Amino acid sequence: MTGTWASRLIIGLTLTFLIGPFFIIIAAGLSAGDFLAFPPDGLSLKWYLKVFEVESFRESFALSMFLAVFGTIAALILGVPAAYAISRYQIPYGETIKTIVAAPIIVPGIIVGLALLRYLVVPLNFTITLALFLAHTALVLPYAVRVVSSSLNNLRSDMEEAAVLLGCSRLGAFFRVVLPNIQSGVLAAFILGFVTSFNQVPVSLFLSGPGVRTLPIDMLSYMEITYDPSVAALSALLALMSVVIVFVAEKFLGFSRYV
Amino acid sequence: MFQNNREGLALALPAAVFTAALFLLPVGILLSEAFQVDGQWSLQGYFDFAAKPLNQVVFLRTLKLGFLVAFVSAIIGYAAAFCIVNLDGKHRGRVFGLVVLPLMISPVARTYAWIVILGRTGIVNDAIQGLGLSDTPIRLLFTETAVFLGLLQLFLPLMIISLVSAMENLPKDVVPAARVLGANWLQVFTRVILPLTKDGLVLGGTLVFTGSLTAYITPAILGGSKVLMLETLLYQRVNVANDFVSAGIIATILIVMSFGANLLLKRISAARS
Repeated sequence: MTGTWASRLIIGLTLTFLIGPFFIIIAAGLSAGDFLAFPPDGLSLKWYLKVFEVESFRESFALSMFLAVFGTIAALILGVPAAYAISRYQIPYGETIKTIVAAPIIVPGIIVGLALLRYLVVPLNFTITLALFLAHTALVLPYAVRVVSSSLNNLRSDMEEAAVLLGCSRLGAFFRVVLPNIQSGVLAAFILGFVTSFNQVPVSLFLSGPGVRTLPIDMLSYMEITYDPSVAALSALLALMSVVIVFVAEKFLGFSRYV
Repeated sequence: MFQNNREGLALALPAAVFTAALFLLPVGILLSEAFQVDGQWSLQGYFDFAAKPLNQVVFLRTLKLGFLVAFVSAIIGYAAAFCIVNLDGKHRGRVFGLVVLPLMISPVARTYAWIVILGRTGIVNDAIQGLGLSDTPIRLLFTETAVFLGLLQLFLPLMIISLVSAMENLPKDVVPAARVLGANWLQVFTRVILPLTKDGLVLGGTLVFTGSLTAYITPAILGGSKVLMLETLLYQRVNVANDFVSAGIIATILIVMSFGANLLLKRISAARS
């Protein structure tokens, strides 16, 4: 080793670069002034409180929450059986199916949003909310399949084979033997999916209509018209929400091994 | 392993059909439109697109920033990963957790911090004026440097994670052994660490490169219309000009580059194993 001071310095600088900006937005949100500045002009909580009063933020937060929760649940309903099939059966065209399901990770989100707008929303008369829901489900699906698959691969398959041999139905074996054992993997998949969906921007860019906008898109358009510290305060609150989720998930699930 | 393959297919098919119908089909139609002019198959759209100077500038800038971010994050990533791997278990977990944490935070929030730092009344401008280096605020936002910094902060964790897991597989004593045998640190890096962690570098590099190419938020917030990248150009073409042909062409370019990088990654990892 070249001495620990050098290594401490490198780690310190890297973490400052990665984490430091969050402390800056937390502080910028605490400003008492009307314009974004750092160091803040005096201290007050008014921008943190104002965030809750802006109606568009409340509406878009509710929509983002709805998409993140139900989109992820839908992705798990589709993804858990697919992950099970991929890890336990030798299905025909298995590789093709894996590639198709993984595709949403590779295709840039902005293209997906545009394509859905042009070929689903407009011709088929889908509502924006439905299109958003479908897009977020498809987006989270690859993560759900990947996390649940890795959890299934760590579970020996002879347990459920034993259950079937002892007279349990295949379905019963899944619910009574497999599911309880991959619980934490499914939960980790839910959290990862929730966070991915909630923070998602490019897919939702084109999928917004009057009064229907996800929170990040709403923030983007809000910061185009105003230069007050409320977006900093909201950013800080969202960052804090993620920190709490990740901390709790890490504590109870050992979340980082799934990411 | 169960033998009833029809059952397995029935379990996997809903997910595949869902993705194919809602994802691949619409995207496929969008891409195919870029190959048509007046209902005829043609590459004319691509020639027209490539002939416009703005498009050339944006394309080259996107590539340049992608490579630059990947390159710089590799340099920082190696230094950081080497230090992290050499920490003891408890500290390693904590530091690694702090590196992963930003990935879970909204990219809008992560990018917005740079407005506070680089803005007209931000820290950097305050410091510049405080030191008397300039009387008026310097424009730092809406520059390539701002976009570069934003992208680097966004994607550096991916590089560090890839390199840390590659280095964890490094046998503990190779570095001390090389040192004892007289190698200097540069030789240790180029002859020992680099060849043994190539997979991690390629994986991290691909993630960072494709991530930078397809990032929207960072160029939108920190670059604006002055520093367009392919994604922001696509958005602008559609929103300002209803130009779906250009949008389809940019989409094709982005997908080809992302797939290309992914294929390259598979090639390299297959060749090694």
